Amino acid sequence: MSSNHPLIRVTNLDLYFGVFHALKSVSVDFHAGEFVGLVGDNGAGKTTLIRVLCGIYAPSNGEVHFDGKRVTNFHPKLAIDQGIETIQQAVGLCDNLSIARNFYLGREPVKRILGIPFLDFNKMRDKSTRVIRTFGLRDNVSADDEVEQLSGGERQTVKIGRAVEFKNRVLIMDEPTNHLSVREREHVNELAIQLKEQGLLVIYITHDISQVHKLADRIVIMENGEKIEDTQADAMSLEELEAVIRHGGRTVEKDHMH
Amino acid sequence: MAAFETRTVAMPTIRKLARGSGVGAIAGVVAMLVAFTLIDFSGWWTIQTLSNVMHFASILALLAMGQALVIISKEIDLSVGSVYGLSGVTFISMQADLGVGGAMIAALIVATLCGLVQALAVVKGGLPSMIVTLGGLFAFRGIIYVWTGGSVRGFPEEARMHWLTRMFGGELFGIEAAFFWMLLVLAVLSLVLWATPFGNRLLATGGDAESAATRGVRTDRVKMGAFVMCSILAGCAGIVTLADQPQTHVTLGELLELESIAAAVIGGCLLSGGRGSLVGAVIGAFIVVSFRYELIALGAPSSWFITFVGIVLIIAVVFNQWLARWAGHNV
Amino acid sequence: MPSLAIKPLVRRHTEIGIVLISILLVLVFTATSEGRWANAYNIGTILQVTATLGLMSLGVALVIGTGEIDISVGSTFGIAAIIYLWLAVRVDPALAALVAVAAGAAIGAFNGVLIARTGTPSLIVTLGSLMIFRGLAIALTSGFAISIPYKERGGFSYFILGGDKIYNVNTGLIWLAAALIVLTLMLRYMAWGNRLLAVGGSVESAHSRGVRVNRTKISAFIICGLLAGLGGVLEAGKLGSADGSMGRLMELQAIAACVLGGCLLAGGRISLIGAIMGAFVLSSIQSYLIVMSVQPQWFVLLLGVIVVVAALGVRSLRRWALR
Repeated sequence: MSSNHPLIRVTNLDLYFGVFHALKSVSVDFHAGEFVGLVGDNGAGKTTLIRVLCGIYAPSNGEVHFDGKRVTNFHPKLAIDQGIETIQQAVGLCDNLSIARNFYLGREPVKRILGIPFLDFNKMRDKSTRVIRTFGLRDNVSADDEVEQLSGGERQTVKIGRAVEFKNRVLIMDEPTNHLSVREREHVNELAIQLKEQGLLVIYITHDISQVHKLADRIVIMENGEKIEDTQADAMSLEELEAVIRHGGRTVEKDHMH
Repeated sequence: MAAFETRTVAMPTIRKLARGSGVGAIAGVVAMLVAFTLIDFSGWWTIQTLSNVMHFASILALLAMGQALVIISKEIDLSVGSVYGLSGVTFISMQADLGVGGAMIAALIVATLCGLVQALAVVKGGLPSMIVTLGGLFAFRGIIYVWTGGSVRGFPEEARMHWLTRMFGGELFGIEAAFFWMLLVLAVLSLVLWATPFGNRLLATGGDAESAATRGVRTDRVKMGAFVMCSILAGCAGIVTLADQPQTHVTLGELLELESIAAAVIGGCLLSGGRGSLVGAVIGAFIVVSFRYELIALGAPSSWFITFVGIVLIIAVVFNQWLARWAGHNV
Repeated sequence: MPSLAIKPLVRRHTEIGIVLISILLVLVFTATSEGRWANAYNIGTILQVTATLGLMSLGVALVIGTGEIDISVGSTFGIAAIIYLWLAVRVDPALAALVAVAAGAAIGAFNGVLIARTGTPSLIVTLGSLMIFRGLAIALTSGFAISIPYKERGGFSYFILGGDKIYNVNTGLIWLAAALIVLTLMLRYMAWGNRLLAVGGSVESAHSRGVRVNRTKISAFIICGLLAGLGGVLEAGKLGSADGSMGRLMELQAIAACVLGGCLLAGGRISLIGAIMGAFVLSSIQSYLIVMSVQPQWFVLLLGVIVVVAALGVRSLRRWALR
């Protein structure tokens, strides 16, 4: 935790899908320079909460403050413009486009010729080449190669590189290491730690509790659309963490353990 | 610096070349020209045949380019033949009231509206484009029937001689104006597709709409853009056709949706979206129209033409798909 | 709350919408046509058209069930009609019908095998065969109609193959009823039906459970071609003549009937009775326009609007039911 003023403050957030109560009065703070692990079973509401933060869903009730200001409009484009980036395993890169084109997708740099906005290919190529080199993509991959040719880990690397390059402030990683080889997973996790150290807020969603216990500064556990635990990672052992998730909440766990 | 085990990406040059869309079409056109020359040299390589082929290929190419844009965005437009017909009928019918220029604008407005209505139904209504444009095919054709009541309409002499009519339907250096318009559209659209943000987003929307949306691309607007451009091009094709032969009939443009899809697919557009080529679509149109003239030159009944287009379409789509997979695309 | 009872019903029976539309249309048409629409003769005509279009729609519904589409059925219909008429004056009509239906099945097999083996989108392949067989039909008839002389139309084979009526209803309806019963049994009570819908719902899941995806798809296309061929035979039997344009645009009507009947184009959810009701609604509207002496051209326009509005309606009904 690097500052007292939270970068994202969620207060009493409710979200309904029809009659289904997906998020139940969730309140949580996220700070810049923090690595927060968000865990819980399937259907616990992790991804739903994240989708509110990156503008895909608008909450039914409650408030979201970003950098001290109340968020009133929810749209992915606005979230990206504010510097909130989401990295998911399956989406984020278009297979049919080159790395350079993917890099700037949605905010392409242009050079105006006769007032017509043409893509600035040099800038796109130079900058994305520099980033993929910095983030350790093998040397024979060029920015003009189609994403289709990359492996799963390389894709994640490109996404992370893109997130950093655009001076993002929040990096949300939704199961970023699914289907990756052991080495690739370590590389992606190293990058995430580096970003935290550069002052970004990293929110990391995973099922892999032992992994997140090692990586995270703080762990938030959700269950049935509610936040049931919010603790510093070192205040809780891995076994305790597992017990909380298994039994759904501290009350049960207390009965069980004492 | 490489963090991951190195896979071989080095591939043979020819395979790299095949990654580009439209290679199949070029191979096809070469094969076709060789075949036609061998079969029937005298019937094919004549000024008359070539000029006819160029003229009608240019008109079909306008439609095929629009279709290609829609296919690249991973949708399909079955209504272009009817939009073509309806714009043409508007152009001819409104001339008496609005003059040639006004009628031309009216025709383009009608085409734009056709595209817009269908795009809204696809994007906002969340319906498959095949169903919506199938509806459009019927509805716009129906409007033609109801409006003209089956009558044939034409231009009076002074409208035929009007400079605007000549500009779209006349000749320049002995070559039909349609050809130059087609080249202009090809150049502009190729730039739009490959060198502007809109083009990048169109390719991204067709390739992976979900990923594009997470990058803040408004995929619904991009798709609407593709549909509207397709309809406007169909309208332009209608105007160019009727400026040359100012006479409408109710069946104007029937089956053109099929020919335009055939041309776009022969030209290397993959229905899985995100990949395609406008040059390929133009070549595809050339192939389709050439077949018609070669069959006529060979003295076959004109109905065989439909059969041949069908065969060429199936061969082209299977071949292009095979080519794309061989080149390493995931389609 | 009544919606609590209705919602599960709508969720499970996608054809509810079309049933409501049919009832409404029958009432409106009967009330507004002063007996010109709702009389025995006209209803008979409507049911005859429903029979041929309905057979085609059943086949298309099966293909839609696998998540594919077949737009070549209109051409298949035409080819089968021509083959039947050409053979019927030379051999026994029953044999002629068999050959014509087999030709339809062969076209379906051609489509299915190409689509399944090469992984090509069905829209394009069947678009190709639409053109191939339409061109063939026109070329075979060289632009003229072929027909069976009236005096030669007799005997049981002609009678049962759409050539005559029982109780004022064309015998084609018997075939439609038979096809509906057989296919419903196959779809509901046989493994094949289960697999067909599984393939349409999720190819990967079906494949992972050992379903032979390709075979299932090919079988759907074959049945579709077969039914379109049968429709062509019955129509030819009724008219006694056919030309190269027979069945043109019927593929679009068949798809419209399926959509109206609640078949989801994404695959996995179809209703056979819904598809037939869709065909009935389309032929009722067409007939209404004719008896009210509205220009028949309006039908084309209406058909287009109906397709889109029906698709929108089915979709919002389903959304409401799922909420």
